[in-house]
Amino acid sequence: MSAERMYRLLLRIYPADFRSEYGREMTLLFRDEYRTRDTNAIAFWVSMVWDAAHSAISMWVDVWLARGKEYTRTLEIIMKLAGTLAVLVGVFGAVNALAEAVAAMRGTLGSAHIVAVALGGAAGVLLITAGTALLRGTPSARYTATIALIASLVIILIARLTHPWMSSLSQLIGIGMPLALLVALHWPRGHDHSTSAA
Amino acid sequence: MAKKQRTAGTPESQLPLAPATFQILLALADGERHGYAIMKEVTSRTKGAVRVGPGTLYGALKRLLESGVVEEGSERTDPELGDDRRRYYRLTKFGLRVARLEARRLDAMVRAARQKKLIGTAPA
Repeated sequence: MSAERMYRLLLRIYPADFRSEYGREMTLLFRDEYRTRDTNAIAFWVSMVWDAAHSAISMWVDVWLARGKEYTRTLEIIMKLAGTLAVLVGVFGAVNALAEAVAAMRGTLGSAHIVAVALGGAAGVLLITAGTALLRGTPSARYTATIALIASLVIILIARLTHPWMSSLSQLIGIGMPLALLVALHWPRGHDHSTSAA
Repeated sequence: MAKKQRTAGTPESQLPLAPATFQILLALADGERHGYAIMKEVTSRTKGAVRVGPGTLYGALKRLLESGVVEEGSERTDPELGDDRRRYYRLTKFGLRVARLEARRLDAMVRAARQKKLIGTAPA
């Protein structure tokens, strides 16, 4: 096996993108260096393997950091979509509560139902608050979103207790949505590492 | 064809440079060079004390390209090295500012070492 072919095999330890971008240039450089080397073959190969080993580790670290950033960016987009959905559901809940409140004023609803409607309206407003905070995306807004989501969840649970015949869909949205958003908000994610040329 | 590169932040944000990276910038300070020419220039200037292998060299060049410190020049053959076309690299204006800032930083450190009498007043 020729030295150049062995070096091409050694290049396989680098990430594929780096290899496809610089593999040819590195092989050319290796060929020149091998031809003009001033040490014996063993010392030369030791230096080549050492160079490949420590530079490949550094390249792989760069790849993993880039993947971490990409993962974080994807999560941020998901959180923006979740924020929009929370605002829409909150508006729907608040409008629905308003409509039921109008019905209550006509005297067609019982007192327990009126309490549940008021709680549902409050939960809707809290979901709008949480959704708006998620859309802002700042650390303080995330804190606001967490508080609003927990409050919304507690209010819906109280409404469920005072109004046991709450529909399955209302329960699913009212309890499931804040829970899902809280999990997504506090799911561990990669940190943004800044890189330098060094 | 030279690729348009983006700069990453301010020149100061690139500092301090790794020793091998600064050696590469010094090699490119005279004009554009291909990888082997950079490697030879570093070895000869440091009298063999610093040797930059292919992985270290292209790893550093990749980062320097991404941060806009270095850009690719034309791809052409080097008559002294045969018929293979080689990529040439050169410093950008941003890269020149980074290299100057790093040189000043190192110079300040050497002056401080002289004041503390760690080294003599004449260059070592």
